[in-house]
Amino acid sequence: MTDSMILVTGVYPVGGHLAGWRHPTAYPDIAMNLDAMIELARLAERGRIQALFLADGNAVRQMDKPALFEAVAPSDRPASFEPTTVMAAIAQHTAHVGLFATATTTYEQPYLLARKFASLDHISGGRAIWNVVTGSYPGDAVNFGGGFPERTDRYRRAGEFLDVCKGLWDSWADDAFPQDKASGRFLDSSRVHVLDHVGENFAVRGPLNVARSPQGHPVLFMAGQSGPGRDLAAQHADCLFTVAQTKEESLAAVADIKGRVAAFGRDPAALKIIPGIRVNVAGSREQALDLYRELNALVSPALGVEYLSSQVKQDLSGYPLDGPMPDLSTEVAGVTSIRQSIGEMAAREGLTVRQTYQRLLAADEDPPFTGTAAEVADEMEDWFRSGACDGFMMNVPTLPLGLERVVDLLVPELQRRGLFHDDYTGGTLREELRLPVLRNAYFDTAHAGSTT
Amino acid sequence: MLSLMTTLGGLGSHLGGWRHPRAWTGTAMNLDQQIELARIAERGLFDLLFLADGNAVRQMDKPALFEAVSFSDRPTGFEPVTLMAALAQHTSRIGLLATATTTYEQPWTLARKFASLDHLSGGRACWNIVTSSYPGDSRNFGREDHVPRGERYARASEFVEVCKGLWDSWAPDAFPEDKDSGRYLRADRVRTLDHHGVHFDVAGPLNVARMPQGYPVLFHAGQSEPGRELAARHADCVFSVSGDIKVGRDFATDMRQRAVRHGRAASDIRIYPGATAYVAQSMAEADELFEELQSLISPSVGVPYLSKLVEEDLSGYPVDGPLPDLSGEVSGLSSFRTTIAAMAERDGLTIRETYERVLPTMGHVLFKGTATDVADQMQEWHDSGAADGFLLSAPALPFGLESIVDLLVPELQRRGLYRTAYTGSTLRENLGLPIPRNPHFDLALSGTEQS
Repeated sequence: MTDSMILVTGVYPVGGHLAGWRHPTAYPDIAMNLDAMIELARLAERGRIQALFLADGNAVRQMDKPALFEAVAPSDRPASFEPTTVMAAIAQHTAHVGLFATATTTYEQPYLLARKFASLDHISGGRAIWNVVTGSYPGDAVNFGGGFPERTDRYRRAGEFLDVCKGLWDSWADDAFPQDKASGRFLDSSRVHVLDHVGENFAVRGPLNVARSPQGHPVLFMAGQSGPGRDLAAQHADCLFTVAQTKEESLAAVADIKGRVAAFGRDPAALKIIPGIRVNVAGSREQALDLYRELNALVSPALGVEYLSSQVKQDLSGYPLDGPMPDLSTEVAGVTSIRQSIGEMAAREGLTVRQTYQRLLAADEDPPFTGTAAEVADEMEDWFRSGACDGFMMNVPTLPLGLERVVDLLVPELQRRGLFHDDYTGGTLREELRLPVLRNAYFDTAHAGSTT
Repeated sequence: MLSLMTTLGGLGSHLGGWRHPRAWTGTAMNLDQQIELARIAERGLFDLLFLADGNAVRQMDKPALFEAVSFSDRPTGFEPVTLMAALAQHTSRIGLLATATTTYEQPWTLARKFASLDHLSGGRACWNIVTSSYPGDSRNFGREDHVPRGERYARASEFVEVCKGLWDSWAPDAFPEDKDSGRYLRADRVRTLDHHGVHFDVAGPLNVARMPQGYPVLFHAGQSEPGRELAARHADCVFSVSGDIKVGRDFATDMRQRAVRHGRAASDIRIYPGATAYVAQSMAEADELFEELQSLISPSVGVPYLSKLVEEDLSGYPVDGPLPDLSGEVSGLSSFRTTIAAMAERDGLTIRETYERVLPTMGHVLFKGTATDVADQMQEWHDSGAADGFLLSAPALPFGLESIVDLLVPELQRRGLYRTAYTGSTLRENLGLPIPRNPHFDLALSGTEQS
């Protein structure tokens, strides 16, 4: 079999559909519910899913949209755990699944961030993932004293931030701590490297006060879809989330991104492309569609329009519900990939405002990745085998139901087709994902068993 | 009632502790050992597990000491809040005291991680507020020179105010999560902070619900004048670096008076002297362990170690001659320097005698003997008002902590000085500290709060 597809799933218990948390089977309490997250993590691990996703931001969002604010959209997270701490906790209840923590290069300091991810990697036995974000939500800036930096400045800072972190993670050789009781030599002072980084945004001396972690560096995920975002990923990332409505869109994105990877002198296969998809699998196609219908009935037009407004970063409340979508091709601050993707879809298909928000809620007649395990697996197989992706970030409408169905119905089907691994290998997450071996930039590997 | 806490880390508090034949091997980044320490301490009904912290690798300019690794240097260790989040999953009652600095962190980020830890632990988070006394930390944050103490404390004070404001963002009943109506949260039960100060502009609200304890328990360690003032205003508990009972009592009295001056009750602030305990079946056995550990330290390690503590290079002075004058002000942590200099002068100690004296205690008090002997001394500190509890370190691990739990704790319990079971589920309950009320939301609607 070729390499297994990589499957990623979210552990924020609110679910992927705007009304997912209101489903009768959904968790009755979501805010700060560690037990629910542990249950989801274990469920994912039972399904041999490689990584648990947890998005993050540094602000309470939508306070200017009262209906949406009180209804809580899946991406708003008014009350949730800080990612590295909750992943350190979840690590104690799981053994194999990758632990995904989002953290921003725009408002953090490289020394502090490098430390907590190195710490998480040790705590989890080599399962830490850093989702590198530049803080694309403009509202975050007001919690850090400043205005919202321009995208180019955020990405320049991010690039340097990553260089510093990688340098810090290579501070110690793997054999730097002999801990020899007889001689009294706890560490070998010839096996530590002082980074002495002085750059445009940071001056960081090093070394890091954490031994080299089991994976060397955490697995690096990114999600930026803009030109600078793709370049940053091409240079540094192990995996890149993408946004694509169709296989053709995804193929075009892959071609562009892999070209950028090669331009940075890396093997194009070294960067895994993981599009986000909404998966709704059930015993029958009708059952899956019923779930969407049931959830959509809970969304009023007012809420739907506010939700769409938040996704496209533009207030649509002044537009007629059954009139055409306005032009979304103009630039706005923050994440633009979702805005762009929705705008192109609405223009291409001539959708009204109502139809567009309904499409976001999967309320159209033929939503993708919806149906029986065989039907959903057909689509995933088509994308995967045609090179449109290396795996999927699966967004399920409601939790835990949506993930239970993925694990119990979809995963066995994918395994039967040889598309998905039967079990974990038992190594670090880097090994699970078959990522290239990471050498320590400052120490040869002759001494260092685990980096060879 | 005495309150006990101990230190994570695994090396033991004596410089030679990790080399003892019965000590753990392979302590660097060993999570299993941290979990075992946590469980031993929880078996002993301790209130807190403490993890000290800094943001630099220290002593690289003192190669012998660097390679020998001293207790407080931590060339490799877990980031405290992530470690505590993991330990919370293996314990159920013990408090989790994580160190974090106000000098290099951002209030939003720090407030979030402690709020997160409090939720993850069911109300057991405790923040040791530090301002980063070690000068070398600054070089990992873009500064060549150390941030002066006055500036650090001015920032710390505003930092703590911002954190408290962020922790008060949400009413405890802000999240009805009502599936029927679709109302997940109540927009009228959240407050925007809009802090604009000298050091920080932070809008809020925090994206974490009100935590079980309201605020984490706040700890502070600074012994300097601005450190004492910060603690008197904000801290629930303070460390005391006191080599003898008189110094300890003076410190405690001073802190309680300061708390009263800030409008708090004298009992609102709890005093925890640091102490190392050698507890054994007999005094001879305790002495033997002590001598065994002392013999593992040569002058090549002892002199740089003392140099580090007093923040002065002593390598040029004869090891059997007196200490130089240490009355000059230094930029880092001055409390050890002052305490050690006073002791050396009082007792006429040479450099060798000073490090041999200091090494096992680091300026703190040393308790040694049978459970009865040690309990006598602890009781004296407690009864004289010098201690509400102790940061009790074991010289070597894990057996040093096991002796404390298995021998000393029952003796303290027999005397009625120590609890026989945890009485609450949150740390504040176990410490007898009130849950701070949220000043922005009335209590009628908030069942979990008390004044």
